[in-house]
Amino acid sequence: MLNVKDLIVFYENAIAVNDLSMEVREGQIVGVIGSNSAGKTTLMNTLSGLIWDMLIKEQRKGGERITVMGSVHFFEEDISKLPAFRRAQQGIVLCRERHPVFPDSSVTENLKIAGYLRKRAEVKQGIELSFDLFPNLARHRSRKAGFLSGGEQQMLAIGMAMMVGPKLLLLDEPLLGLSPAMQTQVVEAIKDVRRHTGVTLVIAEQFARPLLPWLDFAYVIENGMLTLTGPGPELMDNPEIKSAYFGV
Amino acid sequence: MLQGTLIYGFINSVVLMLVALGFSVTFGISGVANFAYGALYVMAGYLSWLGLHSLGLPYWLAAPGAVAITAGVAAMIYWFILLRVRGLVVSEVIATFGMGLAILELFRYLGFIGFEYTLPPLIDASVMIGDTYVDAQRLCIVGAGILLAAFLWFFTHYTKTGLAFRGIAQDERTALTLGINADKVAAWSVAFGAGYAALAALVILPLGTIAVNEGYNVLVNALAVCIVGGLGSTVGIIVASFLIGFAQILTATYLETSWMMLVSLVAILAILVIKPSGLFGHQKQLEERI
Ligand SMILES: Nc1ncnc2c1ncn2[C@@H]1O[C@H](COP(=O)(O)OP(=O)(O)OP(=O)(O)O)[C@@H](O)[C@H]1O
Ligand SMILES: [Mg+2]
Repeated sequence: MLNVKDLIVFYENAIAVNDLSMEVREGQIVGVIGSNSAGKTTLMNTLSGLIWDMLIKEQRKGGERITVMGSVHFFEEDISKLPAFRRAQQGIVLCRERHPVFPDSSVTENLKIAGYLRKRAEVKQGIELSFDLFPNLARHRSRKAGFLSGGEQQMLAIGMAMMVGPKLLLLDEPLLGLSPAMQTQVVEAIKDVRRHTGVTLVIAEQFARPLLPWLDFAYVIENGMLTLTGPGPELMDNPEIKSAYFGV
Repeated sequence: MLQGTLIYGFINSVVLMLVALGFSVTFGISGVANFAYGALYVMAGYLSWLGLHSLGLPYWLAAPGAVAITAGVAAMIYWFILLRVRGLVVSEVIATFGMGLAILELFRYLGFIGFEYTLPPLIDASVMIGDTYVDAQRLCIVGAGILLAAFLWFFTHYTKTGLAFRGIAQDERTALTLGINADKVAAWSVAFGAGYAALAALVILPLGTIAVNEGYNVLVNALAVCIVGGLGSTVGIIVASFLIGFAQILTATYLETSWMMLVSLVAILAILVIKPSGLFGHQKQLEERI
């Protein structure tokens, strides 16, 4: 469903994504694994179209130059130049890193805002589904999102992304800054979401261990370049991965 | 005397709140401090007057027409001028202030000065409250203030566009990823704020004449209320309206009527020295937690 070809992203003169190609098929869970500043967020922002918003803002300021080359196709259609909100309308939804929620709005209101593209009845259903999938959220439904714990905020952020009705859900470091117990919970939640909706997933992570067994395919990137690819369980056994990411 | 002060203080406070609501909505959502706000307020008054007297339209056409045109002009200012400097605060201030000056001084240049520029009151009558004489228009202002504040609350909590307002006010990038066209919603918020300015003008201006200088006064009052209350805080706006509103009436009653405007200016200075974020400045507790 998603085809990325020869993607290159420069910040000023520093290259963040270097000649990267990848493919995501419908129904898959695909991982993008890389350590700090490997280029995961830059890649996710480019897939979701957010990079255009950054590019335009920088241009207005006369700030740094951002250059994007290569192509992104979604269901055979070239979407390389589409802004983020249009891609969301087409079904590519990004859940940004560091649990992006609206801190001053209540949990329910966050979900309502996220239902912008949906009809009223669908919004109601979506909120119920989110509460089914994330019982913690149901308990805190009228609490301000800013007062939730990191893990709860992450679940809310995923719930919000699901409200949009994605065909392809991009998760940028959903486990960032969470305790191991919370990480397990969030991984379970992600699997639940998938079981319920069958949504296709691309997940960027550095701590791949809780996720790797579930990945249909994984791309390992370093300094913006692909270094390894393969099905998740296979990479689990790869000695290079073991030493680089699990410290074994 | 005390009763009169209370009643007029209350009415004056509602006037200030009405004047500040639109400015605050726009700022809270698009982050644009619309310094053309006072000019848009006065423009709505003149447009309505032109509709009534030059075109001979009935009030129910001239007044909504003026509101719609004012909101439309604001949306165009956003789309053709502000969009290109969005996020550059100084440029936004210069651009909106420049537009405001241009609009106001154009009216002055075209000769829109004099006592004939008045708008009709909604109801031409007066009532006695206790032993204080209050004209019906002032009661209409109070009604309009309550109505517009309530509608704003309803709009931002229960409509799609209103919820999108709150979304982009808090985090524009996240809103974009949810399929919200932030530029479009921000343009709506500027138009919405200008629409509120126009509605405020239609109920407040019948108390006096429409004058170019009123544009500057309205801007100063809106700024004073928003800065004292804390930018972006609705509770702050209401509290600040009442503080400044009563202070102005007390000044006018016991000191000197022409000092009313000074109260707003002193309030701005005082709050900037004592608590720059305003009385109800942004939710500190949340910021500390994150
Ligand atoms: N706005 C920017 N301007 C300049 N350089 C940037 C910008 N954003 C990212 N970079 C650089 O691009 C490279 C890739 O960054 P990116 O944020 O994509 O990495 P990441 O894999 O998401 O890292 P992390 O795990 O820390 O989130 C880094 O070297 C970073 O310093
Ligand atoms: Mg990142």
